[in-house]
Amino acid sequence: MDTLALLGGGFAVALQPHNLALALVGCVIGTAIGVLPGIGPLNAIALLLPFCLALKLPPESALILLTAVYYGSGYGGRITAILLNMPGEPSAVLTTLDGHPLAKQGRGGAALAISGIGSFVGATISVVLMTFLSVPLAKVAVAFSPADYVALIAFALSLLGAVGGGSAPKAWAAGCLGVLLALVGVDSGTGVERFTGGTLELLGGLEFTVLAIGLFAIGEILLLVESRLRAEAARISGGQRLTAGEVIRCIPTMFRSTAIGFVIGVLPGAGASVASALSYTAEKRLNEANGTFGQGDMRGVAAPETADNAAQIGNLVPMLSLGIPGSGTTAVLLGALLMYSITPGPLLFEQRPDVAWGLIASMYIGNCILLLLNLPLVGVFARLLTVPAWVLYPGVLALSFAGVYAVSNSAFDLLLAIGFGVMGWLFRKLDVPLVPIVLGFVLGRMLEDNLRRAMALSDGNVAELVASPVSVALWAMTGLALLWPSLRLRRR
Amino acid sequence: MRAGQLLGLGLILLGAAAAWSAQALEVPFAADPLGPRAFPTVVAAILAACGSLLVLNPAGARFEPIERRHAPPALLAIMAAYALLLAPAGFLIATAGLATGVALLFGARPLAALVTGGVTSVTLWLLFDRLLDLPLPKGLLA
Repeated sequence: MDTLALLGGGFAVALQPHNLALALVGCVIGTAIGVLPGIGPLNAIALLLPFCLALKLPPESALILLTAVYYGSGYGGRITAILLNMPGEPSAVLTTLDGHPLAKQGRGGAALAISGIGSFVGATISVVLMTFLSVPLAKVAVAFSPADYVALIAFALSLLGAVGGGSAPKAWAAGCLGVLLALVGVDSGTGVERFTGGTLELLGGLEFTVLAIGLFAIGEILLLVESRLRAEAARISGGQRLTAGEVIRCIPTMFRSTAIGFVIGVLPGAGASVASALSYTAEKRLNEANGTFGQGDMRGVAAPETADNAAQIGNLVPMLSLGIPGSGTTAVLLGALLMYSITPGPLLFEQRPDVAWGLIASMYIGNCILLLLNLPLVGVFARLLTVPAWVLYPGVLALSFAGVYAVSNSAFDLLLAIGFGVMGWLFRKLDVPLVPIVLGFVLGRMLEDNLRRAMALSDGNVAELVASPVSVALWAMTGLALLWPSLRLRRR
Repeated sequence: MRAGQLLGLGLILLGAAAAWSAQALEVPFAADPLGPRAFPTVVAAILAACGSLLVLNPAGARFEPIERRHAPPALLAIMAAYALLLAPAGFLIATAGLATGVALLFGARPLAALVTGGVTSVTLWLLFDRLLDLPLPKGLLA
């Protein structure tokens, strides 16, 4: 009952006309960038963030806009996957397996419809779960001591190597790099300058938007410009519409995929890609008898898309209630909140209920907007693919620079962003994941602050770090996550 | 030497530099038992350790060859010029130049690139300066 009253308060915030308009804008942008290959939700949020700050949007409005872009992208990624056999987002890879065969059979429209419905079901059930789980989880976290937080953050960072799929040392190194980048500037405890190289511009630390726009937007364009130019054409197919029977047959699949997606999403480190892969595999096993998976089974489209959107929402739960982001994009959202001097975590729900509940309420509305946008207007979004690269990327780059400049008005930050762009480009070519850098960056200061607070509380006694059962359990899981990659190698 | 090993070596050097830089900090007074040195030193050590793992075992790391060798340096030059010229030349001129150059790099014909550059620049200026009321440098057009 209490939760419902708080949610009602949230709707009062989310239903204000300007917040409704921002949710709509965010949903449209999110779907559009989901369609466009090469621009993900992370880039889009990094690009929009400086404008939220420059326009002095209140934090709840900014968060409503940015989060709408985030979950909106989950609706867009499937369009290219189905029509072109080319995932618009990494998490839509599995959607190509059954989605593209359906499009070839002339049932692209039906595949798009079922994936839109699946996205809506997965996201909406997850928002309901989030509504009721966030506060209990936050209450558990209120009791966390600084030492427990140290263990929790260490666990979140160690998981990067275990679930990333790539090379574990590279993921950890990227995380360390992010942590070190976060320490640049004046140390709040002692006033000592760290890693500034004596420059005045770095005294206040690195601007989060400079890092994110450099690594993701500029780095991506450097990667795109070096590869051979390819001509791409989009087809919008007609064919037989989706029947009610097909939707009903997909309902159990959607519920199972929502459960898988949400649980995977709540766990730190694992993201939407893992969730969509797991749910597709699970559905394929369950329906092995007919052997229609991979040849254009509606359930093969519904499963990954439902799980993808459920995981995206699940990812927001630890970000809001613990202050620990589970993925790169939620790390950027956390960075956005920190730029507003709002610390997500247990106290957010008590101190800024307008922000926390306004956001959750807006997600109910946003998902309805997305369903309405995506069923009839899917053709309009698909036509975005006919925009040539030489129109799209100059615009993205100009927008990136305008965004960096809008925050700081300094040429130094523009050059810094270009430097991070080169770093992002080289790291992509060397298979070094970039998400741990962002996670390390937003968690770095928090980790050090809590570590120093814990040490101050115990007068420098290291045993304080493992004094509570919570921290012992978390450190044990951290150890497992660190050993996991080498165990996985040995088994092969 | 493979790309993965080179990367590992780079990370070791970076870790060493960070650790050295942290050790060189002069702490005026001890505000807390840990101080500002310990944490960056530990993180730098982990970074270097990950680098060593990559040097010893550079599994599957390979630097994808660049298909169009001239493009990344050209793009970097255009971006650097933009960063330095934005304030003196003004947003409209600098952005038109940036967008035209990038459009050419992405394979646009000269006329199409010029149109893209002009339209991008004016659209963004209208969006920011007029609609959103965010001031942009006027430069030469002031």
